[in-house]
Amino acid sequence: MKKPDLSKLKKIPYKRLAKDFIYGKPVERRRLGDLYQDKTGLYKHREWRGIKDTMYYFNNIWLYNYGMMVYDIMRYGGPIIFAKGVWRYRWVGQSYLPVMHWFDRGLEGTRGETMKASAWHYRAMVSSTIEQFMGMFKADLNTGGDKALHDRTVGHDETLWGGVYYPYDGQLKNIPLQMVPYFVTVHCNSHTVLNYIDAVQAIGLPGDPCPMCQAEAGLFVADDMPDYYKTIMTTNEACDGSVASSIIQDWMINKPLFAMPQPMLFDDDLVQKHCAEEIKGAWKFVEEYYGVKFDMEALKRNLREQNELQEFEWEKWDVAANTPYYPINGVAQALYRIYQSQYGNKPIWHEIDGKVKKILEKCVEQRIETMPLTRHRVIAWSCAPLYYSHWCTWAYNCWGLNTIINMDSLMFDMTISTDDDEQMLLDMARYHEWAPMRRNAVGGMHHIFELWDNMERFNCDMVVMYDQLACKGMQGVHGLFEDEFRARNIHAIWVPHALPDKRVISRSEIRQIINDYMTTVMQEEPIDPSLLEFDDSQSW
Amino acid sequence: MKKVGKFALKALGGAAAAYAGLFAVFYFDLDGKLLFYVVEPFLDKHYSKMERRDPMSVPYMMVKEGEEYVK
Amino acid sequence: MRDLKHLIYFEDLLQEANNELIRKAKDDGKNVLGYTCYFMPEVLLDLPGAVSCRLRAPKCTSPDMATYYMSGRTCHYGRSLFERALEGGYNFLDAQMATETCTVTCRFQEHLKRMPDVINNATFQTSFVDVPFKKNENSIEHYEAQLQTHVLDFLRDEYGIDTSDEALLKTIEEHNELCRIVQEIGDFRKLDNPTITGYEFAVITLVTMACPKYLILDKLKETLEELKTREPDDKKNFRIKVVVAGSENDDPDFIKLIESCGALVVADRYCYGAVEARTQIEIREGETPLRAIARHYLETSQCTRFMEQKDMRSRKKFIADLAKEYKADGIIVVSNKFCEYWSYERVVDTVVLPRDFGYPVCSIEKEYINTASGQLRTRFQAFVESVELKKIQEGK
Repeated sequence: MKKPDLSKLKKIPYKRLAKDFIYGKPVERRRLGDLYQDKTGLYKHREWRGIKDTMYYFNNIWLYNYGMMVYDIMRYGGPIIFAKGVWRYRWVGQSYLPVMHWFDRGLEGTRGETMKASAWHYRAMVSSTIEQFMGMFKADLNTGGDKALHDRTVGHDETLWGGVYYPYDGQLKNIPLQMVPYFVTVHCNSHTVLNYIDAVQAIGLPGDPCPMCQAEAGLFVADDMPDYYKTIMTTNEACDGSVASSIIQDWMINKPLFAMPQPMLFDDDLVQKHCAEEIKGAWKFVEEYYGVKFDMEALKRNLREQNELQEFEWEKWDVAANTPYYPINGVAQALYRIYQSQYGNKPIWHEIDGKVKKILEKCVEQRIETMPLTRHRVIAWSCAPLYYSHWCTWAYNCWGLNTIINMDSLMFDMTISTDDDEQMLLDMARYHEWAPMRRNAVGGMHHIFELWDNMERFNCDMVVMYDQLACKGMQGVHGLFEDEFRARNIHAIWVPHALPDKRVISRSEIRQIINDYMTTVMQEEPIDPSLLEFDDSQSW
Repeated sequence: MKKVGKFALKALGGAAAAYAGLFAVFYFDLDGKLLFYVVEPFLDKHYSKMERRDPMSVPYMMVKEGEEYVK
Repeated sequence: MRDLKHLIYFEDLLQEANNELIRKAKDDGKNVLGYTCYFMPEVLLDLPGAVSCRLRAPKCTSPDMATYYMSGRTCHYGRSLFERALEGGYNFLDAQMATETCTVTCRFQEHLKRMPDVINNATFQTSFVDVPFKKNENSIEHYEAQLQTHVLDFLRDEYGIDTSDEALLKTIEEHNELCRIVQEIGDFRKLDNPTITGYEFAVITLVTMACPKYLILDKLKETLEELKTREPDDKKNFRIKVVVAGSENDDPDFIKLIESCGALVVADRYCYGAVEARTQIEIREGETPLRAIARHYLETSQCTRFMEQKDMRSRKKFIADLAKEYKADGIIVVSNKFCEYWSYERVVDTVVLPRDFGYPVCSIEKEYINTASGQLRTRFQAFVESVELKKIQEGK
């Protein structure tokens, strides 16, 4: 009998393994890219983050959120209504179930307080999403929903600020038409939306309009929208495409419609009264069609609560801008902010902000450096690739590019007066004018170039310049940005993408562009070389 | 008393096994794999063969000047 | 038909933006005010001391410099205008009267504002107007205030233009006279065998937008007189009549291309067309001239940026009504590549106009300057044949 070779066993670095097991592998040996299965983006196994963080992730994120998803379904209508919706609508069936993978992609590599605070942001979005789609299904006449509820619900463009409906809190339900079926869906499962883009192109729409608007119109063309509303309200936020896609949506929806446009030149004091009058027009429309009564107290209460959310957002920005203790990663910051501020005041945002505030305070008090891999502080400008909103998680893990803030977080950068009724209305008008992809994209080029001020404000040394290939507004200012980047000697990486359509520029191509810039221009070495190249073409 | 103790032990054991099982599902991404290879393809097929309204058949009623839309 | 006496002269005027008559107006001491969109009321830019010039970029097939600034994925029209500006083709402009009405033309005008040196003229400035998306009273009021501040006050303060009500009334009168003449010329397209072609009418319409009106009026009057006695060819030289509806088009050769395939263009509902732009301004009782202008430009516009349901839906009927009025057999719906608005509108038109109004539709996407005319020709020829077949089947 051969003697076992004990020398091999002796060579095993037990101490190191034990340390890795307890604390997780240190950065230089993490090799996160080795965790992926080829093409699918699934994990051979989920990341081991050390005992404490792995168990937190398992218990407080994975198990907790699966549990809460069931709980939310139960409290917002029950499993039968949910099952009917899943069976009927592709966007919910294909996107709801892989939600935890959405968490995984966004939270990859995170540890400690960053992992916790960012996950809470995701939890809030999931809860609000469930509330919205269950609200749709309960009132959905396509699946035998409640007609009375249907007649108390208004459907509106996702870019129409939910605050317009504050005066009818408790009397009327407002659910955005596209926020869940389109916006959230793309993040959770990038395959689904392609069906809608194809559907609208199949009836003759060319391929060059903004794919976001294409997908939104395609939802209706593909007959994949619940019939949960008595009327709809549209807006011209953010651009020509939004106005234009309403042309097809109006045809497909075929119900009473109120258009609530906002002026383009919002710096001009002359336009505020006009905008305020349109908000009043919207109220009149709602009151006529739904028989509801204007409740000033409800309006003010909601605005005050919304102001609290904004004030906390400023607190967050302050920490993000001036310290290394900010515990929210780039993708969680961007998605939560846009979702919360666009949809309007809801209890879930306050609940989550309370939890995040505690973490934030702890990080500041204990001076916890939350993003220790940071090599560059990045500001992301223009609109992000929805199918790869977690690019910033990858860029941080691979290159130490820490996305501190993004353009769409900076919209709605104001509180609303509740002391003076006239001023309140004007503030509401202004708030609406400062919407995503609007605040910095229209009303004069100087708004787009507020980038420089914000770079300074957030102490950033690099720009990731999103290059949405079908966004006419941003494409139309491309050269001036190039000129300015050169003149100011700013490192800027142009990241081309097609908003929801991963077929145009794949995630892998986006990574390659960043890799190329970091190696050739910045001449840096990757933090985690296993993340440089991998195939996730079939991934959600 | 013994029975209660045994039952408690069994329940605890069961819970521990379920917890360990869930951890295995979590750690080896079995939830993701089930959804990716089984659930999504099934649902995708279902949605693709579902009968849907022909968009071209949706009426386009004219709204007269100065009048609200009436269905 | 006998050639129109001034047609070649008119065609020559369209060869460049800085044409002979613009130069003459400059010599006369006029301020030349550029604009791109119907929502910048040209009547306000023709006040005493000023002349309007709706910008075009004829023969601009390769806007390379503008593509650096605005990328290759934006409307060719907006880029071509900027290219012409960068080439020095708009140095005659004293001001650009701008609107944020569609993204790419807005970006072109914003470049002029941010890079004023592009226009080699020391007096050059750009002023922007916010244009509402609805036609209700609130919008008219808003639009009026915008026009007052960003057009009239701007012209008065910066260029010393008389913007009094009297001056406005006189300009409206002159504007209406021109509209009446162009309308009368256009009405010859309603004849069973029209005595004017769509191409000729497009040239005339464009001349009225690209040249100072006071310098072109006599020749228009003469052309109108000429048309009154113009005899049509014995045999019809067209196979069908069509309405052209759609986005920006200031290229008469595009109309010529359609007509060379046998489809006579009898009505033109597109940006730079005459349907809206040459409708006379009516001043209602109790209205100030500016109020009447604000109301007129909102109410008459069939632009696809209007968002109210009644406006969205009545646009389709408007085109069908035009086809009926001008006895057209079909409708050609055209959108410029990268035009967000018309990409969507065209889809609905393509379905609804045949289905609900019985008009065959040829739906196409084109560039600003059409170099790929072979493909378009094939499409138009096929459309003409299909309409003819339909007519045979219907026993017409």
